[in-house]
Amino acid sequence: MSASAPPPDLSSTSVPSRPGPGDSAFDASAFEAGPDPDRPSTWIGWRRRALVVAALLGCLAAFSLARWLAAAPQLDSAWQAGPGGQLVLAHSALPALQVHQGQALQAIQANDGPVTPIDARILHRALRWQPDEVARAAQVAQQQAWSRALGSGEMRLRFENGSTVEQTPAPRGYGGLGLLFGLLMSLALLVYLLGVELALARPQASSLLFLTMALCQASHLAIVALETAPGPGLNTAAWMASLPWRVALDLATAAAALQASMLAPRRLPHAGLVSAAGWAVLPAWLVLAQAGAPGPMGELGAVGPLWWWGQLACLAVAAAALAAISHSYRLESNPYARVVHRFAVLAMATFVTATGAVAWTAGLPGLGARVAEGAAVGWAIVFAMILLQVPSMGRSRQLLREFALLAGISTVATALDLLFVAVFSLGSTTSLTLSVFIALALYAGARQWVVSHLLGGSMLTTERTFDQLYRAARAVQAEPARYPAVLGALLRELFEPLEVVRVEWVPVRARIVGNGAALVVPLRSSDDDATQAGALALRFANRGQRLFTADDARLADRVVDQLRRAVAYDRAVERGRAEERLRIAQDLHDDIGARLLTLMYQAPSREMEDYIRHTLQDLKTLTRGLAASEHRLSHAAAEWKSDLTQRLAAAHATLSWSFEYDRDLLLSVVQWSALTRVLRELVSNALYHGHATHIAVNFALEGGALSLQVADDGEGVDPLSWAHGLGLGGVRKRVKLLGGRVAWRENHPAGIVCAVRLPDFSGRY
Amino acid sequence: MAVKVLILEDNPVARSFLCRVVRESFSDTITITEAGDLEAARRHISLTGGAQGLHGADPYKLILVDLELPDGNGMELLTELGHYPATKIVTTLYSDDDHLFPALQCGADGYLLKEDRFEVLVEELQKIVRGQPPLSPAIARRLLTHFRHGTPGDNHAGDSGFMPASTLTTSKPVPLEKPPDHERLTPRESEVLTYLSKGFTIKEIASLMGIKWFTVNDHIKSIYKKLNVSSRAEAAVLASKQGLV
Repeated sequence: MSASAPPPDLSSTSVPSRPGPGDSAFDASAFEAGPDPDRPSTWIGWRRRALVVAALLGCLAAFSLARWLAAAPQLDSAWQAGPGGQLVLAHSALPALQVHQGQALQAIQANDGPVTPIDARILHRALRWQPDEVARAAQVAQQQAWSRALGSGEMRLRFENGSTVEQTPAPRGYGGLGLLFGLLMSLALLVYLLGVELALARPQASSLLFLTMALCQASHLAIVALETAPGPGLNTAAWMASLPWRVALDLATAAAALQASMLAPRRLPHAGLVSAAGWAVLPAWLVLAQAGAPGPMGELGAVGPLWWWGQLACLAVAAAALAAISHSYRLESNPYARVVHRFAVLAMATFVTATGAVAWTAGLPGLGARVAEGAAVGWAIVFAMILLQVPSMGRSRQLLREFALLAGISTVATALDLLFVAVFSLGSTTSLTLSVFIALALYAGARQWVVSHLLGGSMLTTERTFDQLYRAARAVQAEPARYPAVLGALLRELFEPLEVVRVEWVPVRARIVGNGAALVVPLRSSDDDATQAGALALRFANRGQRLFTADDARLADRVVDQLRRAVAYDRAVERGRAEERLRIAQDLHDDIGARLLTLMYQAPSREMEDYIRHTLQDLKTLTRGLAASEHRLSHAAAEWKSDLTQRLAAAHATLSWSFEYDRDLLLSVVQWSALTRVLRELVSNALYHGHATHIAVNFALEGGALSLQVADDGEGVDPLSWAHGLGLGGVRKRVKLLGGRVAWRENHPAGIVCAVRLPDFSGRY
Repeated sequence: MAVKVLILEDNPVARSFLCRVVRESFSDTITITEAGDLEAARRHISLTGGAQGLHGADPYKLILVDLELPDGNGMELLTELGHYPATKIVTTLYSDDDHLFPALQCGADGYLLKEDRFEVLVEELQKIVRGQPPLSPAIARRLLTHFRHGTPGDNHAGDSGFMPASTLTTSKPVPLEKPPDHERLTPRESEVLTYLSKGFTIKEIASLMGIKWFTVNDHIKSIYKKLNVSSRAEAAVLASKQGLV
């Protein structure tokens, strides 16, 4: 038995945990090393041919086994254990046997051979799971006798009432193989093929170790499959029936697992020594088995119960492997080690449970055989499934989850079924129904837990994921330039990797590398975006407790798509808005502007002309505001100053200008146009109503509050008594719109000071 | 001999207004030709020796061009008149740089805003003909960007009213080409441009840099020359020789 399996890639999972762009483990070649079905380059040439040959050989072997079993003669009859340990005929389709239904069989005799007494021990098929040496010897002997009798052409059965039936056995036929035989054989083939495939794809230590495990377990599965063929009289080969060999298969698997966990995900100190010790258990066991072989009648050998020794040896090596993988995880939080560790625990638990159940029920005549057979099949299937999962752990979390649930629940169901039969003496139908119900209830209850815990840590809740995605999309919309940072932060929150590094190698879509240790997400914010080449590599999901899966890659792709869409959408909306504004602005400017201009040239009086000129300038300010999308405060101030200088020069007035700011804000269109018009209106007032010769403008932006002061030396007095016409009313309205206050007072020695204060200028739009 | 002036303006009221401005601006005898659209303007120009002005016929000394015209954009004419020995001035209602900058690039020597007061226009017109180029802060920023990066689309200056020139005009956009190496700005010119972009007047720049007013003006002219904005310097010389000013 084994507690863990080798990851198929040593180089890319044992990357150093040092972060930074110079991390050599993150260059493209390291990423390319992963086993990847969509990279056909590793499959060209002889490897493909070798794989095909291996597959053909495997299929041929399986088919020969099936053919041999189907051709073997067989009595069409079903047997069960009697209360006293005898073999009772349950039913038979053969007329000669039908009359003896319910009677116990005493002995069988081949055509001309010796008479062999038969009892219920012949029903015990799972030789590997028979703790009792005596019973094992007896059952092997009885099986062989039965098999000989079948093979002799004419078989005599003597029942306890003394009557003898002579019957000619007929071949079993493919239909008589049973469903389980097919299932187990397919599983054996699958495990075998996976091992060969990995070994061919990357012929290196870890793959070869995996191949060893796969071969051992495939043989085991094939033997178990043979053992499940219905009816007694299985002509098992000697080595098949021998406990030392069967245990040796499990021991080899465990030793391979130990070596693999010493090597990957990182090489542990004394790896060679420990591995050698693991492998040394195998010959030690064979020697021990030789020395302690039971006598011809099953009496205990020199070392006591051999079966227990075998189980102990398996457990010891497996525990060593488990310890190795835990140690490896402590050294480096590679989620691969974590997941393998979980599988190892699962496998060991199954093995211990099976051993315990078999040992406990060994003495019971009928039940012992059933439990042993269940244990054999259950253990073989569970471990084969684990083996199948290990190389592709990064591929699909869904599959893994469902498998884990299925394996767990069926184990529970089987155990319960056996328990009900044994302890409560329920009928088999009742117990089966009951155990299925309980198993379903367990499934419903345990699903959530398994989903969140077995594969390490839970993903974020859907709600939180959505929330974060939404926020990120908004952030990107607001500042498309921050796209890489936002994406990085979002991925960090989604997957909680141990580290995120920027790499140069850019995959087309998000990809998993290092067998789930890292996820590489391309950065491009749009298809034609060349500036943000590169990708983000996330290593060790969920703080090193989880492997990245194909689902994660898909999720990452979706996230990237969403963010990109947000950017594109925002650009499109902004473009649409700008175009619309432009159109309106152009229409206003061209039509109304031209008419106002004509009107202005024909104005009857100077006042009228100025009035129209202001209207025209307002219109222009408005249309410019519409057409432009943003104004920087310092730039706007420069324009204002330049504009005022020109106007004052034309009116033969002087300007003193001061402008201070602690932050160069981006003005919104509203702010810009309001300030522009307020300033113009105030200066116009000073010039044309106050006839000022000097105007001082003070701008100050401090801590988000903006103050504007326009002081003149004109003739204006007593501002409180002014009638606020269109001009000053407009100033008030605009200042109010910006959330501020405006006040006029008299200047010394002459003129007016207008003070505008906008307390929350930087926070408003 | 009378100085010949061409005024291209589709609005008759505005046209007569501009005639008054021109007459007020110069003391010489002035012959004003008026055109209402591009075609008429071209016809008049070809009568005086064509767009190149090479036939020795009596050419126009001053051309005022409106931008938006019934049969096209005034910038087309400006482009055609690249080597025409006249002071070319854009008269427009558009005061945003996205109209004015391309116009300057097309060879305009300056621009007048039609809504300005009569006196202001007269003064500005005199200044332009005398050789004081117009340079608003936003245009200065664009020039800086242009000389730094050589790409028209660079929005680093983020000036107010930035948008592609093509969007508001009916003519083709006028791309700013990357200046050749020999036309890099000198540090002094760069400094002048930076001050201009911050809204300082020429007088203020002169006192900030500790140089004379006309030195600043020379720097600005030099910048314009490097931009290949116009043959305006020659035009100005020509104009003063002809007694236009």
